[in-house]
Amino acid sequence: MIFTIFKKELIDTLRDKRTMRTMLLIPLLVFPIMLTIFVNVSSSFEKKASEEKLKIGVWGDLGAKYWNQLNEMPNGLGKKELKSFEDSLALKKAIEEGEIELGLIVPKNEAELARTKQTIPLTWLFDASSVGRQERAESYMSYLTEKAETVRLKELGVDATKLHPLVPVYKNCASDKKMIGQLAGGILPYIFIAFGFIGCMYPAIDLFTGEKERGTIETLLTTPISRWQILVGKMLVIVSSGMLAATCALLGLFVSIEFLDIVHNEEILKIVHGILTPMFIISLFSLLLPLVVFFTGVMIPIAVYAKSFKEAQSIITPLNFVMVLPAMIGFFPGIELNAMTAAIPVVNIVLATKELISGTLSFGYYAISLGIMLLLATLAIVVSYKQFGKEARILN
Amino acid sequence: MIKVSHLRKEFELSRQQKKELQTTADKALAVDDLSFECQPGKVFSLLGPNGAGKTTTLRMLSTILTPTSGEIEIAGIDAIKYPQEARAKIGFLTGSTGLYARLTPLEIIDYFAALYQVPFKEKEERKKYLFDLLNMNDFLQKRIGKLSTGMKQKVSICRTMIHNPEVVIFDEPTSGLDVITAENIIQLIRDCRDQGKTVIFSSHIMSEVDLLCDELAIVHKGKLKYRGQMSDFRQNMEASNLTEEFIRIVQH
Repeated sequence: MIFTIFKKELIDTLRDKRTMRTMLLIPLLVFPIMLTIFVNVSSSFEKKASEEKLKIGVWGDLGAKYWNQLNEMPNGLGKKELKSFEDSLALKKAIEEGEIELGLIVPKNEAELARTKQTIPLTWLFDASSVGRQERAESYMSYLTEKAETVRLKELGVDATKLHPLVPVYKNCASDKKMIGQLAGGILPYIFIAFGFIGCMYPAIDLFTGEKERGTIETLLTTPISRWQILVGKMLVIVSSGMLAATCALLGLFVSIEFLDIVHNEEILKIVHGILTPMFIISLFSLLLPLVVFFTGVMIPIAVYAKSFKEAQSIITPLNFVMVLPAMIGFFPGIELNAMTAAIPVVNIVLATKELISGTLSFGYYAISLGIMLLLATLAIVVSYKQFGKEARILN
Repeated sequence: MIKVSHLRKEFELSRQQKKELQTTADKALAVDDLSFECQPGKVFSLLGPNGAGKTTTLRMLSTILTPTSGEIEIAGIDAIKYPQEARAKIGFLTGSTGLYARLTPLEIIDYFAALYQVPFKEKEERKKYLFDLLNMNDFLQKRIGKLSTGMKQKVSICRTMIHNPEVVIFDEPTSGLDVITAENIIQLIRDCRDQGKTVIFSSHIMSEVDLLCDELAIVHKGKLKYRGQMSDFRQNMEASNLTEEFIRIVQH
């Protein structure tokens, strides 16, 4: 009997254009579209930045020395055009007016400082509101510093290696898989929560509030089936919709990575392919399922309580933000799944998913997270059943 | 057969309802000590003005609502103790019933046949009989949302009768329908009576009651004001016509 209700409600739901849009189309297309736009915009910015010819103004009596060195600089450090200035005020004004992008001030006593082997302060002027100016100045400065150091060490007759007794060598012991999991793993649970919630929303409202509004619930209640059978049948459709929406979003993300050429690093692609094992997918869905059942259980009492589609939507939509907010936790590195975080609903799923990608998920915390979510999902079902049993709620 | 004795229904009032009704009472009494019997092969009419408690009574008979007190027997089954078994014997049709707009008539009928657990062979026979009788064959595959009111009403009738119920409950079935569409319902009620089914229908239109019913109960503010044979009602009325007599009884 539950299957009869499930089948009918599924057909009904799949024929609803609004539900289909939020359940299939949007989740499926959002990542390919979003990532295509992102990649195109960022690559066009990169291209523009690399092709941008920076105008550098140089001032100082001995500016010529640095002028030459800057001129000799390889174009790999960025294209540039040099311009000489008569005074520092004119140089500053030119930056303010956007005539030049960087300004270099060489001190008047530069020759004296060089002769006496003292530090020579080179002042760089730039407009910090323009992105990348300081970085460009820093890269030019390290070029000039290297040149100056070589000259001075030669004058002093010192071997450069003798000046640096300690050379730090930093080696990352974390696997690439762990790195990807910790740094980029937050996106996956976010997709789960955002699209799982949206996927449940319209079917929940349509199958309960909608049925009340259209006057079909009364007929259904006169048939010889129990209310819990009706509830379970409808609930299964809502859960399926949530799962389908989340799956479509994941599929969209996978298609984007696989076919849209957004990941150029072969190593990362290899790791992504390595992560996507059947066991990983099963574990992922075992985390997603209780989360979606929980969402469904939260939405049904609201949908049963509401008298109109609009009213249900106005209550459930703000709830979306409450649910999606903990999903942001996944974007912060350093927050790990432990005995405490495993007991916080939604947050536990976010962190468990992250650790699942990293391959660091411990079975104990996984079990606690799953247990907590299953408990909440059961509680949500009980509340839904009680609400659905109330005469005043189910008949408008 | 339907047997109702000392039926009572109280509703708890929400804060909003109390405000609307301008009352401080926690409960509202919708049906107060109602008793009557409906015999097979006869049409029993529940007549009353809006808000009299007709819909609440019929919803209790169809087990959608649980009575506060009293007893209901549907085709020999205690409907309060065994609501699911009682529902299997009932066909329920209201004027306000909606249909699933995204399904076709065929899908709806199959769905309800499955819910009533009608065996396959019987279902196919009933479908053929009802589709021919109601002249539905031309629009069986069209979505409900694209059908006219008359076509939808035919689907509702077919849905109500697919499991060949012993008891048929009609709650203001012609409300909002034009004369031609309403005629389908009136014919259905007559057919049910002729087939020996127990029929109860509620209405606030006296002419409709006069046309169809064998027995009559008039309710007002949840209380029974009159119960008897329609022929006796006609014979003993004090007013000049049926509508005026109905108003006289209600206001008395």
